[in-house]
Amino acid sequence: MEKVLQINNLSKNYGNLQAVKDISFTVNKGEVYGILGPNGSGKTTTLAVILGVLEANGGSYQWFNEPFTKLARRRIGSLVETPNFYPYLSLWENLKIVAKIKDAPESDINYALGVANLLKRKHTKFGHLSLGMKQRMSMASVLIGNPEVLVLDEPTNGLDPEGFAEVRNIIQSQAKEGKTIILASHILDEVEKVCSHVAILKSGELIANGKVGELLSSDETVYIQAENMDGLVAALNESTLVKDAKIIDDEVVVVLGGDVKSTDLSKYCFEKGFALSKIVVKKQSLEDQFLKLVK
Amino acid sequence: MKKLFELEKIKTLSYPAFKTLMIIHFLLFFLVILVVSRVHFTIPGFSVKGLYQFPNIWAFFPWVASWFNLFLAIVVILLVGNEFSFRTFRQNVIDGLSRNDLIGGKLILVLVIAIYTFIMVLLAVLIFGLIYTKDLSFEIIFKNSYLILIYFIQAIGYMTMGVLVAMIFRNNALSIIIFILYFAIIEPIIRLFFKAEVRRFFPMKIISNLTPMPEFLTLASEKKYTSASGGSYLDLTEMGLLPENLSLATTLLLAVGYIGFFIALSTVLINRRNL
Repeated sequence: MEKVLQINNLSKNYGNLQAVKDISFTVNKGEVYGILGPNGSGKTTTLAVILGVLEANGGSYQWFNEPFTKLARRRIGSLVETPNFYPYLSLWENLKIVAKIKDAPESDINYALGVANLLKRKHTKFGHLSLGMKQRMSMASVLIGNPEVLVLDEPTNGLDPEGFAEVRNIIQSQAKEGKTIILASHILDEVEKVCSHVAILKSGELIANGKVGELLSSDETVYIQAENMDGLVAALNESTLVKDAKIIDDEVVVVLGGDVKSTDLSKYCFEKGFALSKIVVKKQSLEDQFLKLVK
Repeated sequence: MKKLFELEKIKTLSYPAFKTLMIIHFLLFFLVILVVSRVHFTIPGFSVKGLYQFPNIWAFFPWVASWFNLFLAIVVILLVGNEFSFRTFRQNVIDGLSRNDLIGGKLILVLVIAIYTFIMVLLAVLIFGLIYTKDLSFEIIFKNSYLILIYFIQAIGYMTMGVLVAMIFRNNALSIIIFILYFAIIEPIIRLFFKAEVRRFFPMKIISNLTPMPEFLTLASEKKYTSASGGSYLDLTEMGLLPENLSLATTLLLAVGYIGFFIALSTVLINRRNL
């Protein structure tokens, strides 16, 4: 597989605070790679370092298997943190600056504004836009020069549900075109719906990474109720079918092992003399896995 | 180079503060030279009209224009400071410029503004000189014309120092205050702690001495004024109103050295610090 980005033991300090601690991962061509983490976990710092705006204190990174030159930068469209444009210039003038830097044709400007649904506003000054429109303007700027890689840091920040869906559609359509996308977010649903791979950061450390499907356990979680809840939990924890069972609020939360089905659990409870008054099955989500990892 | 020039053109020409300050700069310069041209007073051996005649005008107009170099430095501080306030330097690097391109773009901007002000003063010199000089000859017209090139270097000096101050403080208001304070108060106070032969080597002193008060004006005044008590005097040289005894070539060389130092330090800062 062709490597797009390789990060090796990257570290970044702000004074005594170690914002990124010795992280390593690789993004291959065509992957939609999510970087997940709570606020302050080091997502933006990691992106700012690999985009050359912050200097690393340790480790290294390579884009396209070569040192990060300004030519390599032009193959990447990036949105890091807040939208950064000249407030006194129109959207068109701001994108003209981006197009000039990337040696992209001016025709890209109208295309990008069209995709971001901002074409009618092209002569509006950037400073006069709402937060959501500014975020969409950032998405437009990312598309200038038809980059091979998109690096997006919280691209749905400040967007209303409609804008959120629009940005998600843009990301998905770019992914379908075969572009590599690196998406940092703390919105788990966003990452789960869009990404093929994910890295999870906590306090600057990489605590998990891999394919989203692999990271999500195949274990099923079952929520059950019966009259004798304590007896039920004791019986379940003796069983080899169950990885874990505990009472939470007024129900028993049961994590089933590998290939065990909820019907096997129901049958086991019946055999042990427990009549279940409720049984709800839930597949583990990225959110469950994320919360388990970061807590 | 062409790309950096075009980028700066887009960033600068639509910036309202840039347009306002450049218009003020233009108006102030022409206001002063027009008002002075209407003043009539006579001191033995000196007439105001003489200031507008070749070759005196080559010294007088750059000296007047140098009063407004501070405006040009403030314009540059604003344009560099904005890049930090709007975080657009950061975005420019993300989009594909190198950090040296960032400083390169601003130096092109400095050069273009210096060329603009050079042309403005040159045209003013030629227009007023041709109007006020009676006996025109090629030799008289171009005698001392090199002084306008020295003014050009001086304008670059002020503006490159503006770039450096903006790179250090990264905040428009703070940078402008510090720049003006350094120019008007900090350096003059620091100079007081040094011997006379050292004082004249300070950066603002060197750069401002590139366009000293024209000699024909100094001839019309006393170098030293005795105070009312008669015990002390005001030294116009010490006040920076009269030329120091460094030669123009030495002053020019030192000024170019300082400009090089300001550029080098700005380059180091932009490359070493986070954006």
